[in-house]
Order: sequence, then structure tokens, then C-alpha cells
Amino acid sequence: MHTITFRINGERRTETVSPTATLLEMIRDQLHLTGTKEGCGIGECGACTVLLDGAPVTACLVLAAEIDGCEVRTIESEVVDGQLSLLQQAFIDAGAVQCGFCTPGMIMSARGLLLRNPHPTDEEIIEAIAGNLCRCTGYQAILDAIRSVVAEAGSRGGR
Amino acid sequence: MLGQFEYARAVSLEEACRLLRDEGEAARAFAGGTDLLVEIRNGVRSPSLLVDIKPIEALSILETNGRDRALRVGPAVTLNRLAENADLRDRLPALADAALSIATYQLRNRATLGGNLCNASPASDSIPPLIVAGAIMEITGADGTREVPLDCFCTGVKKTCLETGEIVSAVRIPTVAEGTKTVFLKQQRIKGHDLAVANLAGALSPIDGLLKFSIGSCTPTPLLLGPIETRGHSVDAISEEAVRLAAESISPISDVRASAEYRQAVVPALVCRLVHGLMKGGA
Amino acid sequence: MNDLKYVGTGVSREDGVDKVSGAARYTHDLALPGMLHTSIVRSPHASARIVSIKTEAAEALPGVRVVLTGEGLCYRLGLYMQDKCILAREVVRYQGEAVVAVAADTLDIARAACQLIEIEYEPLGAALDPREAMKEGAHLVHPDLGLYEHMQGVFFPKAGTNIAHHQKIRKGDFDNAFAAAPVKLEASFYNPPVQHVPMETHATIAQVLPGNRMEIWTSSQSPYTVRHLMSAAFGMPHASIRVHVPYVGGGFGGKAGLGLEPLAYVLSRAAGGRPVKVVATREEEFNTLPSRQGLHSTIEIGCSKDGKILAFKSTYTWDAGAYADYGVNIGRAAAYSGGGPYSIPNCWIDSYVVYTNKIFGTAYRGFGHLEILWGVERAMDMMARKLGLDPADFRRANLLKEGDTTITGEAFTSGHGSPVGCLDAAAEAIDWGTPSEQPSEPHKVRGKGIAMLHKAPAMPTYTSCGVVIKLDEDGGADILVSGVDYGQGTYTVLRQIAAEELKIPIERSHVTWDCDTAFSPYDWQTVASRFAYMGGNAVIQAAADCLKQIREMAAQALDASPDDIVCEDASAFVRGRPETKIPYGKLALGYTFPNGNSIGGPVIGHGRFIATGLTHLDPETGQGLPAQYWTYGAHAVEVEVDTETGEIEIVRIATAVDAGKVLNPKLVTGQVVGGVIQGLGSALWEGFRFDEKGRFLNPSFTDYKIPTAKDLPKEAKQIFLENPQPGGPYGARGVAEHPMISVPSAIGNALFDATGIEFTRLPLNYETILLAILAARAQEA
Repeated sequence: MHTITFRINGERRTETVSPTATLLEMIRDQLHLTGTKEGCGIGECGACTVLLDGAPVTACLVLAAEIDGCEVRTIESEVVDGQLSLLQQAFIDAGAVQCGFCTPGMIMSARGLLLRNPHPTDEEIIEAIAGNLCRCTGYQAILDAIRSVVAEAGSRGGR
Repeated sequence: MLGQFEYARAVSLEEACRLLRDEGEAARAFAGGTDLLVEIRNGVRSPSLLVDIKPIEALSILETNGRDRALRVGPAVTLNRLAENADLRDRLPALADAALSIATYQLRNRATLGGNLCNASPASDSIPPLIVAGAIMEITGADGTREVPLDCFCTGVKKTCLETGEIVSAVRIPTVAEGTKTVFLKQQRIKGHDLAVANLAGALSPIDGLLKFSIGSCTPTPLLLGPIETRGHSVDAISEEAVRLAAESISPISDVRASAEYRQAVVPALVCRLVHGLMKGGA
Repeated sequence: MNDLKYVGTGVSREDGVDKVSGAARYTHDLALPGMLHTSIVRSPHASARIVSIKTEAAEALPGVRVVLTGEGLCYRLGLYMQDKCILAREVVRYQGEAVVAVAADTLDIARAACQLIEIEYEPLGAALDPREAMKEGAHLVHPDLGLYEHMQGVFFPKAGTNIAHHQKIRKGDFDNAFAAAPVKLEASFYNPPVQHVPMETHATIAQVLPGNRMEIWTSSQSPYTVRHLMSAAFGMPHASIRVHVPYVGGGFGGKAGLGLEPLAYVLSRAAGGRPVKVVATREEEFNTLPSRQGLHSTIEIGCSKDGKILAFKSTYTWDAGAYADYGVNIGRAAAYSGGGPYSIPNCWIDSYVVYTNKIFGTAYRGFGHLEILWGVERAMDMMARKLGLDPADFRRANLLKEGDTTITGEAFTSGHGSPVGCLDAAAEAIDWGTPSEQPSEPHKVRGKGIAMLHKAPAMPTYTSCGVVIKLDEDGGADILVSGVDYGQGTYTVLRQIAAEELKIPIERSHVTWDCDTAFSPYDWQTVASRFAYMGGNAVIQAAADCLKQIREMAAQALDASPDDIVCEDASAFVRGRPETKIPYGKLALGYTFPNGNSIGGPVIGHGRFIATGLTHLDPETGQGLPAQYWTYGAHAVEVEVDTETGEIEIVRIATAVDAGKVLNPKLVTGQVVGGVIQGLGSALWEGFRFDEKGRFLNPSFTDYKIPTAKDLPKEAKQIFLENPQPGGPYGARGVAEHPMISVPSAIGNALFDATGIEFTRLPLNYETILLAILAARAQEA
């Protein structure tokens, strides 16, 4: 067993994990943060995307034991003081949410993009979410949602 | 997580080698884990110990302009870091493109060059550009470091010449001549992320006008073709020669991804595009 | 109708907040105290006898609570055809079938225990191709077929064969009409099986409660069907079974009937009543849980020289896989739609649903219509070419019009909408009359194609929906319904309709999200593009019931006649005297006079809708009235092909659907955009691969590719016609399945225009396209 200390959504935590536990399992089953979803378990669908030290990764292929000293952000970090982020609101307004199962992973991929590059090109937006599979929306509304946040940030430097 | 394994962090190369040697064959070096953890989940591999090499700084170096214009990449460098390095994109664009073509953005934040090479899949995207660049693998074990050219490093389908207790400590390209042109092409089944049905890389030297190329996914081990003398010949003539050389060298199989027939059919077109890209394409 | 406040506007989903914040809880996310986790052992063989199963080592593993095999689980399950067992009994019928299930304290322990199970199999003969499986002497997948219970008078399994059902359409006199037709065509087509790929795999939690009761939480499209089938299977009264459906991460038909519920139940029963969770891994979602049936079709068309269809014949051979429960209904529905949206005076259709030793099929968005229209719409194009006619003109001349009858003898009226209007709109959107502008690169070619689509809800003649609306102290409304919103947005539409009818602000109109058979009123299943239609009508009725109660109380309160009470802005007042208004909030729980006397009571409205006018189809001729309503549409597409690699790109695609009334443009657009991309998956990439022994080769995203954000058409247009549907809420018809139905056929038709090659097999992947181009070149040479 390994004892790890890390920050998750700004909160410092110490947890004991088995060497074989994935970050996804720890987040969902141990920390009870169920916003992050499992879609395939092999990193192909992006439903489990979280930010690890700011970088979008698929939590199903990260071992919990290796995140000692790291910073993790999950979908639960998007709502601040009970308010949806601009990105979350944009998803709703653009009709980018249907069944919602891919949505947390999509938003975290988009969040990762906006953190590293507030003015991405269209190509960069597509590349950022190409690893997130969606079966319902056909992606168009999701891209529109992200574009709208980029455009708004461009004009007023919002969050 | 399916599987029974212990996890250990190594903070030095020496410690990593020692842990691997002490545990024996059942230990695996662990960097991104994007191949390894999937293999464990699918029951293809059952290691007893994962040695995390990510904390070892020396294994994360990325030197793009060493002595004699050498490149040196640590095995734990992630594919995104490789793809986004401006110097690398400038000097060896085929490798940057190859890295960018692998998997998804999220997976490339974890998957490493070393992992991709040690996985030694015939369809590896990073192998063809490294083969035409003359890459050499630096391998470190308890007894020190040895060097093996990449085409000898991969000994068979998913097999390398690594011995128990050894780890790839760097991927080195001795030199990239100024003005060298490189191109990478990949045929997938879909525009979204995919393994290669066929992949190619080529390099054209400005010094001697020699063109080398490598075709992946069509032979069990890396294939280096050429050099072809391009000076004084038309693009079409070189293309024809390269296509002929490719046809007599590849032995594609049929698998769930594509038939041998499709691979045979698509490789000539890609070879032509490769040659055109090297001989005609812009700076 | 013109001054609608909410219906017809792009109201955002209320559930959006839960979903974007991670607060939405799906069955995957639920946990109960003491819950056990499940792993299963799948059959490695397509067809084999189970000789022995050794479970001792698994049972001995610490943390393992239950190990179950099929022995002792002698239940046969199914809605239309009861041919399915919970775990394989005596034989395995497909590679991937669940043979052993282990419930343990943790998922890791359950998986480790499964590794310790030893099973001995004796491989048997297998039927892998449905056409072979129909022949005499073929291996019988269900030797006891004659003993299985099934829906009488609707389905006709043939004992002693692999034919689960045979649906016939016999209209007019095909043989003579075809023989006499001056222009004839025959062609064959193939669709492979595909998977729904919901992002949330199947998941169920079941708990057996004392007193022979059970409680289930499940990712399902039909809580009441789950309840009913569990009641039938286990002999328990309906009221002893409680089914909850929380948020569902996509269904597409795959979660329509029974899935993991029976297994979860028997595990909980064996575990002494501890709750048991069963979650499919993605591999199990592909390899164990059902698919869309494969289809072989052969089509013959006879036309007059000037392009009128005189005779149409099709033979549909459905690859049902190992179990045919939903398969038989798809075979039936496909038959009555089987000629396409055309006026066909002489029609002969045989639709066979055939067992094979492969993964079994179930409902899938389109319910057989994508599969049949792949063949029908390709054949129509081929016939147009044979006649020397423009494919759009040929279709225009033959599409159903007022006065025509369908192939089951149903009269076509303007209330059905306008197939011609859809064709014209889609064709115009891609400049149909003008040939594609060819790319400058010599190895690229472009082409255009069109295809029609049609579908009616494939449902029993008694399909119904109930709705309850409760008002609250804020003058708001809670709508209780057990249709499921698994992404299509119907709950939002129902909220809009309720707000419109009740005259309350949309912010005060809610649908209670979780379905619970304990208090949500009955709905048949959320499939078939019928929920907005039926639920919408039921909401209208329930709202009227609420207003009736409001008016009665207000009339008493205001000393007026109920006929003189006006309801507006969440208040009731006497006509002409708005100063008398009483807000709904003061009536929602009854009304109290100033002196304390109270009248009325809580306002609870109920509404319902049942399919009317439907009849069974005649077993010999297929004549009858199967359709509550038809929805028509068309796709028009322009493609670009790289003739050196076979890569195909969608330059532009236009989809026109006659929606009757667009209840919410944002949601309906979302349905069409998403449906087109799902259709693109079927068209270009998706298909199960099997080896020669019937083993599944691509049960993961590594080798089963679905479209990503990089695979979108360059341009996609959605066009909605609004020719009202009589009987539809505000004139709306269902449109949920339709957007994907003819995407493959439109692309296949465009490929002919681009390459001169007639493609007949899906998927149209790069390899298929390139090898066909090279073969065609070789033939020319």
C-alpha cells in the first residue's frame, strides 16, 4: 500500500492506495467524486479526462500511487461558489449536452486547452477534444460552445 | 485495476536498473503506461513490479542542438513535449509529426518516446522517422551503458534486445545535417486517433542528395530503404525507383485493421507522396 | 398557434446544470451500503456444449460472496420471444455469452475470482451466416424453438429451423407485374452488425428485499418494461418490483428491454439480499451485450419505360444472432416499411429473422430502417440509372402522394407530411442540378447523392403513456413521467408544453428527473420516436385536467361559473375582471377562504395517450395498419474521394425531415446533427469483425472506430419542414431515429457519382473504396 499526499480541486488530501489502483478508481471510489466517468478503461474515449498538474490525461491509465505531490483537477472544480463557469454555461447554451456522460471529460479537455492557450485556433480546439468520444451530439455544438468562450475571452479576458 | 503488481519510484538511473535487475524478468519500467497498463488490463502481460522512471531527471532531457548538431531525447519525454518542441519541429519535422499523430492529446501527455520504442510495435509511428535519422539507443544496465542502432534494437514483433535489468537511457541522433528535409506520412482508417495501417518517413540530405526512407506496419522489424541518389533525376523517376524498392521489400500481413492487399495498394501512393514532399515541398 | 410562448423556442435543458457540473448521477455512480461488485466469464466459443464448470477455487477466494452458473437458473426471458437465458445453460450460443457470474466485495476480487474459474467446453457445429443457417441441415441454434413462448398472432417462429420469424408482405400480384415490366433490376446488399456505443455502458444494481420484493436501479430506456419482464420471468406481482432509472448515458435502443437486470437480481438473491451491481466493461458492451442485427438483402424492381415502379420484391435475411427477442420485431417492422416511401402497386416482401451463433441483435436507432434503406435507396438509384433518369426525378415521380396506398394498404394523406418536399429541400441544399466541381488534384474526385427515408414507430397496437402533473405552492408544476430522457431532450419539450398549456413561466415547469415505477406513471418504452408525441399529448391532457381543477376552485372562490374563469400568467380570474385574480400558488393545495373554510384540495392532473387505430398485420399478406404516424425525410450529400488511398470525406450533407412542428429547434437540431454523425459511423467505419470460428475480433475502441471531432463533414445543414401531423402535440411527429437512417445510402449513391462504382456492402471504409477502384480499373484495362 502507498500513502500519497496531493491536492485535488484545491484541497489537500492524504490517501492510502493499493499499487494497482488507478487514479480514476481512487477519484470515484475512494474520494467519491463521481463526476469523472469511466467509458472504456483503455484511454481511448476520454470520458475520464482530468487535469494532472494542469495537463489533461485519461485517469484510467494513471496509477493513484504515482500522483504523490501532484495537483489534480476534476469536473467538480469548475463550479466556484455555486456558480457555473463560463465554459459550463456555454455548453448548456450551445446545446452541447445531450446524455451528458462525455460532458465532464469534454469540459476538462476544454479547460486544459484554455489554461494553456486562451486563444486557440479552430484546429487546436478540435485537437484538444478529438480524444473525447461523444455518441449523441455529433460534436458541432461542443465546438461551438468552446469557440464562444474563446471569442468572449478574446473580447474581455473572462474566465 | 486487474493485476497484481507492486509499484516503486526510482529517483536515479542506478536505482531503476537495480530494482529491475533484482526483481528479474517480471519487472517493467513504467513511464506513461499507455501501452503497459492496457496490456495488464487485457491480461497480455502480468508484471510483478512497475518501476516508475518519471522522477529521474536525466531520463527527461530533450536536447535538440548538441555537439555536431546531435539530438538527444530521454525515454521519459512525453510525446506532446516532443511534438511541441520548436527546435525539434524545425530540425526533424518528421519526428514531431509522427509524435503528433500518435493517439490523443490526453494520451500524449503520458505516452513517451521511450515507451513507444520499447513497445516495438511494427506499426510504431516514431520508429520510421528515427530510422531514417540514424537513431541510436543508449541502454544502461548494472554494468554500464551500451549503444545499439535502432534497427537492431527492435528484434521482432514487440521484441527488443533489452536484457533484464536494462533500461533505455536515451535516444540519440548523432547528427542532422543543416537543410535536411524530413517527411512523415501515416495512413489511418479514420481521421480521428488511430494506429497506422501504413506509415512512412523519409529524409533527403542537402549535402549528398541521398534519399532514405522507412516504411512501417509492413514488416515485422524496422525497414530502412535506400539511399537513392536524387541528383540529376526527376521526381517522377525517383518516385518510381522508391516504389519499386518498397514493393520488393515490404511483406504486409492481413489483420483486423487492414488486409495485406490494402497495404500493398496504398503504400505505392504514399511513397510517391513522400518523395514529392521531400524533393518538391517547401523549406 | 402563432403566439406560442415556449413551444417552438430553443429552451435550454434544465438537466444541463447537473450534467456540466458532474452532479448528475448515472447508475455507474450509484452505490448502496453492503453492495457487491460483479465480474463475468464469457464464452470463448461461438457454439459449444458446456461440459463442466469448476468454481471451487473462485468460491474460496476471500471476498467472493456468490458464484453463479446457468444451472439452476432455468428462466427464459424476452418481450416478444422468450428465448434468452440469464447465464448460458448446457450450451453457449455465441462467443462472448456470459457463462459464469461472480459477485464479490470489490471489483478486483470479482475479476480475480473469474480468472480461477475452469470451464470445459465441447465445441459444436455453428451457424455463422444467416443464409446458410436457413438451409436444411444447418446447425440449430435453438433446437427447442417450437416450445418457446412468444407474442401470439404477431410472430411466427418455425420450429425445427433457425427461423425465429417470417414476415410477409403480399400486395397485388408481383410475379405477373414484374414479368411484364419492361425495365428490371436485381441487386443484393449487406450491412454488418454494429454496436450502439452508448458512452455509459450497461449498468444495473439490484437488491432483493424481504417479502419477495426487489428494487432495481438501472441504466435503461424502459423502467416499466423491465418491471413487467422481471415480473413475468420470476413470477412476482408487478408491485413487488420497484425500478429506478436515474440519469442514463445514452441508449440508442440498446437499453430498451432487459439487459443486466435479471443477472443482478439472481446474484442478489443468492447473496442473501445484498445489493449487487453489474456494470459492463466496454469490451463486454461490444462482445456480450446486444448489437444491431446484420442484414443481407436482395431487391428486385420492375418499372415502366417512363419510370413508374410497377413491382417491388425484397428478401431480407436478418442475422439475429443467438437470441431473437427484439430481432423478430425488427424483422416485422422492416417488412412493412420495406419498399421505401414509394407508391408500389405490386409488392412482395419476405423478411426472415434467422438465428446464428453470433452476438445477438436488439433495437437500435432506426429499428431496421437504416439496414433496409441501404439496399432500397441504392437500388432506386441503380434503377434510375437503368432508366436514364435523374435519381431525384425518378424518386419524385414515385414517392407516396395523396391518394396512394402503402404496401400494407394504408392510405397516404397530406397529414403524413411531404416526402417530396423533403427531397426537394435536401437536393436544393447541395445544388443537386449542378454536377460536383472536381478538385484540382487529379487523384481526387467528387460526387453527389441523395436518399429518402421514412419510419413509423414500431410498437405494439396498445402502446401507451401516462403523465401526472402536480402543482406546488409557487404556482409551479412537477411533471411525473416514466419515459426516459437519455439525452434526446424530451423532458425539456414536455416542460415547454406544460408551461404553454398551464400558462406558467417555463422556469416553474419541471420534469421530475428520476423515473421510479413506484410513483412515475406508466410509459411503454422510450424507443421508436414516440415519446414526444405520446408524452406531449398526455401532458396536454394532464394540464387541461389541472386547469379544470383550478377553475372549479377559483369559480367557487370568486362566486362565478367555471366557464367564466380565465387562466393566464399562473393565475385564475373572472373573465373581464383581472383584478379578481388568484395566483395558482393559492389554489395548488386547495383554496382557503378568509374565514378559514377550505375547499378543493391538492391539484393533481393526469393525462394519458394510447395508440389508436393500429391493427395487427395479416400473417399471409402483411396488410394492416401498423403506423400511428409516418415521418419522412431525405439526405443529400456531396463526397470527395482520394482515389489513391480510398479516403472519403463528406464535403457537405443536408438532411431534411418533415417534423410536423419543431417543438424545440435547439434540441431537434441536436438530434439531427448527432444522428447524422452516428449514421456516418455506420456508413464509413462501423462493423463487427468475426473470424472463421465466429469469434469477435474488434470489441474495443482500438479497432471499432466511431467518429471523433476530426471526422465531421465540412458542411452540414438541417432543414425542417412543418406540415402538421394530425393528432400530434402542436402537430409534431417523432424525429429521433430518422436523422441517421439514410446517411449510408446517400453516401453510397454519391460514391457512384464520384467513382462510377456501385457499392453494395457497408461499411464504405477506405479499404473497401480503394480496392473497388483498383478492381474497376483492372477490369477496364
